[in-house]
Amino acid sequence: MKTNFAHLGPEERSVLARLKASLALRLAEEACAADAELQKRCPPNGIAMKLGIRGSDAPLRLQVPRTSSRRPSLLLFFPNTEAAVRVLSGAKGTAIPLPLGSGAFVALTFFRKALGRAAELLRSPDTSEETRAGLLLAATLYGLEAIAGESYLERRMQIIPDGVVGIRAGGIAYQVTKKGRTIHVQRDAPSAAASGSPHLDALLSFAGYRSAIDVLSGKRQAVVALGSGEVRVEGLLPLVQGLFAVLDRLSWYLGVEV
Amino acid sequence: MSEMADEKSTAAGMSGKRIDGSPSPRFAVSMAYFERAAKVIPGGIYGSKSPGFLVPGHFPYYLSRAQGSRIYDADGNEFIDYLCGYGSQIVGYGNPAVDGQALEQARRGDLLNQPHPAMVELAERLVGLVEDMDWAVFVKNGTDATTLATSIARADTGKQVIVAAEGAYHGAANWCSTNVFPVFMQAEQRDVRFFPYNDVQALEALFAANKGHVACVILTPYHHPTYRPQQLPTPEFTAAAERLCRAEGAYLIVDDIRANFRLDMRGSHRFFGIHPDMVTMGKALANGYPISVLLGTDGLRKTASSFFITGTYWMSAVPMIAALATLGEMERLGGTARLAELGRTLKEGLESLGKEAGFRARVSGPLAIPYLTFDEDSDLYLNQRFCAAMADRGVFMHPHHNWFISLAHTEEDIARTLEAAQGAFRELGSSSSLAAERP
Repeated sequence: MKTNFAHLGPEERSVLARLKASLALRLAEEACAADAELQKRCPPNGIAMKLGIRGSDAPLRLQVPRTSSRRPSLLLFFPNTEAAVRVLSGAKGTAIPLPLGSGAFVALTFFRKALGRAAELLRSPDTSEETRAGLLLAATLYGLEAIAGESYLERRMQIIPDGVVGIRAGGIAYQVTKKGRTIHVQRDAPSAAASGSPHLDALLSFAGYRSAIDVLSGKRQAVVALGSGEVRVEGLLPLVQGLFAVLDRLSWYLGVEV
Repeated sequence: MSEMADEKSTAAGMSGKRIDGSPSPRFAVSMAYFERAAKVIPGGIYGSKSPGFLVPGHFPYYLSRAQGSRIYDADGNEFIDYLCGYGSQIVGYGNPAVDGQALEQARRGDLLNQPHPAMVELAERLVGLVEDMDWAVFVKNGTDATTLATSIARADTGKQVIVAAEGAYHGAANWCSTNVFPVFMQAEQRDVRFFPYNDVQALEALFAANKGHVACVILTPYHHPTYRPQQLPTPEFTAAAERLCRAEGAYLIVDDIRANFRLDMRGSHRFFGIHPDMVTMGKALANGYPISVLLGTDGLRKTASSFFITGTYWMSAVPMIAALATLGEMERLGGTARLAELGRTLKEGLESLGKEAGFRARVSGPLAIPYLTFDEDSDLYLNQRFCAAMADRGVFMHPHHNWFISLAHTEEDIARTLEAAQGAFRELGSSSSLAAERP
């Protein structure tokens, strides 16, 4: 059942705002990594900015390229959670750019372009499977990270064992660390996908980019993909199964109408 | 499932895939059914039978028939079975004495307006057999029995809190299931408290924190959590559970659904020296026919009598006839002593073969309900690979759930299983497994 933003409680509004912000930043980063045109538009010394939301948690940060250590030049501030959710969903709303250093408006312009490009890449039939899988994986995993601390999920998170799950889809590799009520996502170097990372309590691997796209876009039920061998889970199953239960909640948030 | 499904030549199966994505003609029919199921059944196969709970690509998803200790999948593959219908098969699939009497009653009538006289005979038999129990109520599934037991305890005491061990399985009702949605947590799950199994101090602390509110403690006779080695109770723990219940005016329930009749015909509580107020039994009670039972002591008879206990199928005749026949067959085939004997051979063989191959493989739990884990691999990578390798060799051992010995297993079955295990351990030792890559 679809829920409207107006019916959400204060905590749900806060979680949704943070989720939208996190997804915007991560998808912008993914688009930059995948799109040569966008990379050309990036200033030589990179882009660093933050998103801040009144009524939500600490600011989230965009860093392009990912390895850059540049200090943020801009804080894009949303005066309330509704404004953040509306603006980051593409609707009208208030966002206040607060310069923190030189290049603030270059950063803002770049962020908007990158976000727009991410949406194009997800829509376009010409997008490579690797790029599309990368965007969907980023959205899913960072989405989990953004909502993990919600009180709705407290008991679910309690019964999921702590540990590290490796996620593999073609050359894309992530490590997802579940500890207590938190989920931390870390993108691995591409070499990790080939060699297998150490310290993994469980491994979730997609047969290829297409499988990842089908499952993450909802075209293919995860349990069915698992049964048919398109998705493989090894190791501590309750850890992965538990994260799928958190994923249900992420789907619910992504279905909220603004 | 139609007989057509048994034919390997069924054209449907070409979409079969192995876990690594390569075609698996061995399970082509199973896979074809699974693809069809996914369109009309949530998850294709749900719950504990879900393919993801096994090792996809190495196990069948659909079974067509079974006989004795063997199961046959929809593709016609044969396996020596150590899951026994999740414990329900205790005298073997297709036992002629059980099935003969059950099928005869099916011809005469199963679900009738009023109970069949066999209900009285079965209740008398169980009350006479199961230690300390004075009455019996028949239901269908384990969940029915455990839910009724906790409800009776609550009604009798006027208290709300149910105490259970972490990781214990008592059924799929909202009060005890792992469907952790806040709406259930605020209602059915609100008054259920958990403690680590065998932890006397934690149990005492739980009683202290909920003084005056505990209706019952529900325990399996020993701890058989999924994904973990099995744990036997310490005498201190069972004594503490009894003492705390008595002091609080709470009831002790032993949920014997899974271990039912595999440890002691008089109930697993007798095997461990526990003195419960209620006992639930199921699974092996009727060798696979759908029936479970709640047994209780005299003190709870009045409260149980005041409950409106009913279900359309709860008094059907066939399972009761089958239960009576199963009890007779268990005695005839050697009972728990025979199960333990077979289980010991399997346990010692597996541990020895594992050691020879360089693994610290350990079989935990009672001899008749074994489960193998590897000390060096708490994440179960090795379990999954071992059980996959066993399934490849025609032996169905679950990687995440305890196994069961039945009275249909033979020494030859165990010998063939150990022969397969030797190959499986070798395969594990020679493969560059994920576990081996882990530090």
